[in-house]
Parts: sequence; C-alpha cells; structure tokens
Amino acid sequence: MSTQSTNNNTNNPTSDVVTSSVPFTLKRWNLVGIWSWDVAHDVCAICRTALSESCLRCQAASNLQECIIVWGTCNHSFHNCCMSQWVKQRAQCPLCQTDWVINRIGQ
Amino acid sequence: MNHPATFQDRWPQMKRVVLKILRQEPTSQVEWQNLFTDVYSVSTWYPASITEIFTELTNEITRHIKQAQERVLRHDEDSALLKAYIHEWSKFYEQCEYLPKPFVRIETNSNGNTSSSNPAHNSEKTTRSTDQVRQLMLESWNNNIFKDIKHRLQNSAMKLVQAERNGESFDSQLVIGVRDSYVSLKTDDKDKYKVYIENFERAYLNETTRFYKQKTGQYLTEHGILSYLHYADQKLKEEEKRARRYLESVPECNSVPLLIRRCVDVFVTEFREQITNECPNLIENNDIERLRLIFVLLDHTGDITSLTQALELFIVKQGLDNMLKNKDTIRQDPESYVQQLLDLYRQFSNLVRDAFLNDPRFLTSRDKAFQKIINDISVFQLDMPARATRGATRTTLAESRCPELLAQYCDILLRKGTSTHKKYSSEEIEVKIKDVLLLLKYVQNKDVFMRFYKGSLTRRLILDTSIDNELEESIVIQLRDVGMPAEFILKLQQMFKDLKLNRDMNEEFRTVCPSSRNNNTMMDSFSFKILSAAAWPHPGDKIDVSLPAQIEDVLPEIEEFYKKKHSGRKLTWYHTVSNGQLTFASKTGKYDLDVSTLQASILFAWNHRPINKLTFSELKLATNIPENELKKTLWSLISFAKLKQQLICYEPHVQTHQDLNDISLFWINYDFTIIRAGKIQTRGHINMIQRLQLNTEKGREEENEEIMFLRGERTKEAIVQIMKTRQRMNNAQLQTELIEILKNMFVPSKKLIKEMIEWLIDHRYMARSETNISEYVYVA
Repeated sequence: MSTQSTNNNTNNPTSDVVTSSVPFTLKRWNLVGIWSWDVAHDVCAICRTALSESCLRCQAASNLQECIIVWGTCNHSFHNCCMSQWVKQRAQCPLCQTDWVINRIGQ
Repeated sequence: MNHPATFQDRWPQMKRVVLKILRQEPTSQVEWQNLFTDVYSVSTWYPASITEIFTELTNEITRHIKQAQERVLRHDEDSALLKAYIHEWSKFYEQCEYLPKPFVRIETNSNGNTSSSNPAHNSEKTTRSTDQVRQLMLESWNNNIFKDIKHRLQNSAMKLVQAERNGESFDSQLVIGVRDSYVSLKTDDKDKYKVYIENFERAYLNETTRFYKQKTGQYLTEHGILSYLHYADQKLKEEEKRARRYLESVPECNSVPLLIRRCVDVFVTEFREQITNECPNLIENNDIERLRLIFVLLDHTGDITSLTQALELFIVKQGLDNMLKNKDTIRQDPESYVQQLLDLYRQFSNLVRDAFLNDPRFLTSRDKAFQKIINDISVFQLDMPARATRGATRTTLAESRCPELLAQYCDILLRKGTSTHKKYSSEEIEVKIKDVLLLLKYVQNKDVFMRFYKGSLTRRLILDTSIDNELEESIVIQLRDVGMPAEFILKLQQMFKDLKLNRDMNEEFRTVCPSSRNNNTMMDSFSFKILSAAAWPHPGDKIDVSLPAQIEDVLPEIEEFYKKKHSGRKLTWYHTVSNGQLTFASKTGKYDLDVSTLQASILFAWNHRPINKLTFSELKLATNIPENELKKTLWSLISFAKLKQQLICYEPHVQTHQDLNDISLFWINYDFTIIRAGKIQTRGHINMIQRLQLNTEKGREEENEEIMFLRGERTKEAIVQIMKTRQRMNNAQLQTELIEILKNMFVPSKKLIKEMIEWLIDHRYMARSETNISEYVYVA
C-alpha cells in the first residue's frame, strides 16, 4: 500500500477542502470477497476430498446443507461429518494420533 | 312295427328325401323326421348296413353333383359360368349343413364299433367323424366337379378381378363365391386351407403382380417419379382394399399381408433407387406430402435406411452451409448462431413430425445430424490443451465452440441492458432458454458449456444484472433435468444460497455498524458479497490494486463483523470483480459511471491532480495494477465504443491497448457530455463495465488446463468404477461403458482414455490380462 501512503501525504492537509472539487466521487460500492476454510491441509484426511467441498457422504446425498469443518486442539481439521464418524471408533486425531479434543467448529 | 326294417326296405324312401334335400325341394316335417327314424332303425337292427347306407349316399351325392356340373358347363362365357357355378355351389354348400344331420347317429355308431377295440383313439375319431357326411359331400364335390373346372373357374375369377382393375364393374360376389368354395373345400385336415392357398391365392398373387409389372414401368416413364409416388400409393391402397374383399381373411392364411408384400415388391422395391434419389430434393423443398408418401411406401419394405440417411446428410449439409455462409459474423454473434441452429432444429423437427409422423428412426437421424453440426469444428473452434496433465506442452486440441456460444446466448438473454433481452417478453425468454437446453443435449463437451455458463452467471449475480433471479434459479433446475452432473448443479444452487445469506448479512451489518458510529459517511452506500470459494469460480491470480481511501477504510469494519459471525474462515477480498458507481463532475454536468475496481482506481488517481496529464508510468505507480491489466483497463476508458466523446483523453494515438507505453499521456476530458437526441444532457448514467473480467488471460489458459485435468480425473474415476464392478473387461466394452458414464460431461477421446488406462496400469489400479492383450483386469 505504498501508493496509498504517498497519496495520503499529498492529500492530507487539504483533503477536506478538495472533496467537493475532485472530479470523481464515490456514490455506491459493492465489495466482493471469497471465503475459504482457514486450514493447514486442503484435503480432509478421512474422506480424501477437499475441505472446501462437502464431504463424500454429503456429496453423495446431494446435501445442500453446509458441510462444516472441525478443528482439533492439534490444529488439524476435518469435515465435521467425517470426524463425528471417526471418533465413534477412535478418539484420536487421524493425522497426529493425539487425543481428539475439539478446538472450534467452523460456522 | 312287425319286423325289423332292412336297408332294402327303407332305402327307396330314404333316397327320396335325400334327393329332395339335395335339390332343395320342399321337404315336409314328417319326411324329415322319418329320415332320422329310418337311419336309426336300420343301423340299430343291422349294423352291417351302415356301409351300404354310406355307399348309396355317396352314389346319390355324386350323381347329383354330376348333374350340377352339366348345368354349369353349359355356359361358355366366363361370368355366366361363374354365376352358374356359384349358384350350384351355394345351393350345395347350404345343404352340407342339413343333409349330414340325420346321419349323425350312424356316424357316432360306426365310430363306436371301431373305438371299442381301441379306446385311446376314441375322442380323436369322434371329432373327426361327426363331420363324416359333410366331408363326404365336400370331397365328392371336389373330386367330381371342382377338379375338372377349377382352372376355368379360377381363370374366370381372375379375369373379372383384372377387369375391375381396368375400371369395369361387375358383381364382386362372383369372385367371392369362387373364393368361398375354395376355402370351404377343406379336404386335408392338417392343412385346412391347402386347396385355397395352392390355387386361388397363388393365382391371385401371380395375376396381381403380373398386371402391375406391366403398368408400373410404363406409368413411370410417362408421368415421372413424382406422380408415380401418388400412383403407387393409391394403387397399393386399392389393392389392399381389393385383397380384403377377395382374399380369405382368417389369420391362418395371411393372404392380405402376403399380397401387400408382393405388391410392394412390384411398386417400391423395384424402383427403390429412383425413389431414394428424389429424397434430397423433396427435403429441400419441404415437400411434406411426397416425403410422407415415400416414407409410407418404403416403410412397407421394412427398410427405410436410404431415407433416414438422406435426411441426416441433408440436415448436416444445411447446418454446415449455414455456418459457413455466415462464417465471419457468426463468430462474434452467438445470437444469430444459436438462432440459426434453432431455426434449423425447428424446421427439421417439424419435417420429421409432419412427413415421418415422428417415427423414432427419423428422430434418431435428426439427432445424429445435430450432434454432427453442433460438435463440428470446421467453421470455428476452441483450442483445448491436448493433454490432461497439468503444465504440459502447449499443443492444443480443437473442439467445437458451440458450448461457449450457447452459454453466451443465455447470457445475452438473461442480462439486463442487452438489446436482445429487450426484444422479448419474459415468456419468450423462457421459451428460448428451453430451446438452448434442447440443443445442449447434442453438445458433446458439456463441461465447456458448464464453465462458460457458470462464468456468465457469476458475472450476472455479482453485478446484479440478471433480469430475473427466480428465472435463473429455475434454469438451474432445468439444467439438472437435462442431465448436467449433480455436483455442478449443487454448486450453482449454492451460489444462489450464498447470495441470500449475503443479503441477510448486509442488513445485519447496517444495524450493527451505523454510519454515525463511523466517520465514513458512505457506510450506507456499501454492500458486500462474501462468497464461498467452494461454489464460485476460482478467482485466479489476485491482482493488488490501490483502492480509493473510502473503500479501503470500510474493509476492516466488514472483516471484523464477518469474523464475529463465522469462525475458521479465511476472507480474501476479490477486488478485481468489486464494482460500483462514481459521480464524475465535468464542466457541463454530473454523470454517474458504473465502474469496476480497476477503472475506479485509475480514475481516482486524478482526484489528487485533477488537471494533470499523467503518464502511463505514473498511473502504474498510483494504481499498482499490473501493466497488461492496466493497459486493458485504460483502453476501456479512452476508447469506449458506446461513447462519442471519451472520458479520458490520451496521446500519442495508438491502434490497440497493447501499443500504449510508458510515455503515453492521459488526462481527464472536462468537456465530456452525454448527447441524447441532439441535446446536451447535464445528468446521465453510463455503464463503463462492458464485461466484468473474472479472470486474467493467464487464468483462462489455466481454466482450460483445469478442464482437461478434470476430464482426466473423471475418466480415471469412471474406469476404476467400471473395473471394480466388472473385474475383467475388454477394451471395446470398457470404452462403450465409459462414454455412457461420462457423456453428460464430455465425450472422452480415445487418446485420453488410453492415457488414463496407462496411468492406472502404471499405478497398479488395473493390469492387462496375461492371456489377452485387449483385456484388462481390476487390481484391488
């Protein structure tokens, strides 16, 4: 943002005066952003599909509900659907074998 | 009764009655009943007399028949002979019903005698000999009269039929009578209609074909093939009708179909080539009546491939000719391209419906033809990377551009502000979209369509330029219904869901972050769309761009708000597609400009130096936009096609955006005005965003590669899926099943399939069979 800081430097002293005389003023603005899960690995180690996609089960069921992501205290992340199935058999993280404790669930 | 009645006693009396019956003379009730009694008493007392009764009966019948024959043969002239014969025959045949009745008793008796020794044959014999007397009568008739004159009869009947064909009228009962006498002569129990089939039917068939063999060729040379079609059709119908009248209709004989087949041979098969040669002309002239005739005629032969082929070839030729003719305009004009395709589709669908009654065989050749036209690459093509592996060498493979043009056409229909959608009502647009889906069915590479459709849909949704969001959603359902892959549909649906979530989120944001809390008085004018990376197209390379300060200021507010609502999410602003409206104050007035972020960034550079001429380098520094994108964006401001006066002036003048260079100078045109109907407007609104760029040039190439990569992956998946269920399979079968699975996305090339099979073998998912090189085995 180096340009912006130079802009600010040149503009600051007179900015209030200039606003009315500048050629272009902002009227309306639509921002577009993209969100993705904040994860270290892109792929769910349990179902092997990308974490940005729904898990295999949800895809197969053509489930329109959001398939959310869960993080353990080990900071590994999986589809919540996959992990809830996994912990029924083993209460450990599939990647690092530490005991599985949920840190947070994506929303 | 004093003594038992002997045959000799009773026969004279019996004979008198029998003769009366044969001659159809009035018989009193007493005589009729006496005959029963006499037969009964004679046969009961003297069972041996039964044979005598039969012998005498046969003699009487034969004598009677001889007399009849004499009467018949007195006539020389055909129709008189026939008339006499039929008269005798019908009389005799009628009596065949009555005369046997009194003798039923002895028939079963004589039968009972033999059967006692052989009970196993009992039932069979009973059924056989209840007809004994009747049989006897018919046989005698056959042997005595029919045999001698049957040829005369038959010939006379045939002559009459021929006369009828030549337009002379006569009593059709005569022919029917002869036919009936043939049919009734069931002398052979196993093959009841033998007499009829071997004589009457055969003669009828032969005469008919002989008659028309002479006529058809003559008619054809005299009147030409076109009127011959009518002639053949009419005659076939006539002959069928005639056959129904004169030939036996019981299903065992199958006479009428037989006759039709023979006629078809004469009328159609003989001239098949000449008829077929007419087809292209008739199709071209849309001569539905004659085409239907040809269809009906050829369909009789059971082989209409020459016609279906002609149709297919014609459609393909017409389709490709159309495209070639408009080669130069069509490339840039999806509307006329799609419109032409649709017109063609309508034209031939109507033809198939009207001329060929929607016969499935013709629908198939229509479909085949359209598949060829739509996937044709001779007029224009889309270059796809040839290999499915990423980063491969830049060889390309040509594909039809049709899927792209179809998607563009949808966009033209569904986007606000295009001249096309204004032409149509919303109902018409819905119909047109349905038409596109109709054509989409024929597109082989539907994945290309999906990409372009999704791209243009994204643009419409982000810029909020869709004419009708509900319609958009219903189209998604329709896309699903025409067989687009579920995952693609799911993502489109998620896009709509995302937008609804964002609408709610924006409202909430406004209540939590009122503009008063902030120095930014613009707060209410901001809206945001935060979209799921999983559902929306990949943005490609992120372009850093210096934003107007007011925008820059609001970003942290939104980010903070978003973080509170969601956890575990990473938010990336996608400035290249953000957009909005600026107000430009020129000397003459104030104008609202719809602009993209890149455009806004450039324009705002002048806010600090409103009257300066800025060099390209200075703008590059101020906006931070990469050079190539900067050139393109500047070009949209200095040579906007819809404006007479440009917003930004520049020097030195250049031909294309690529020729702009570091020393090009740019400045604001303060004399800018909008002139409408010759008047200067002091207020106005211009949309400067021509086509929102979702992706960079490089990104598009990557997208093509991505499509090819995905094709590879999908092919691998499908091969494994097939091999897993089949375990063992040969190459050809595998290819067929593979295409069946993948055809809703794309049609895999042989090369691609081979490549993927090699890969799977290398990675030990499958192996070649040891015994058969063209067979594969699944390896778990």
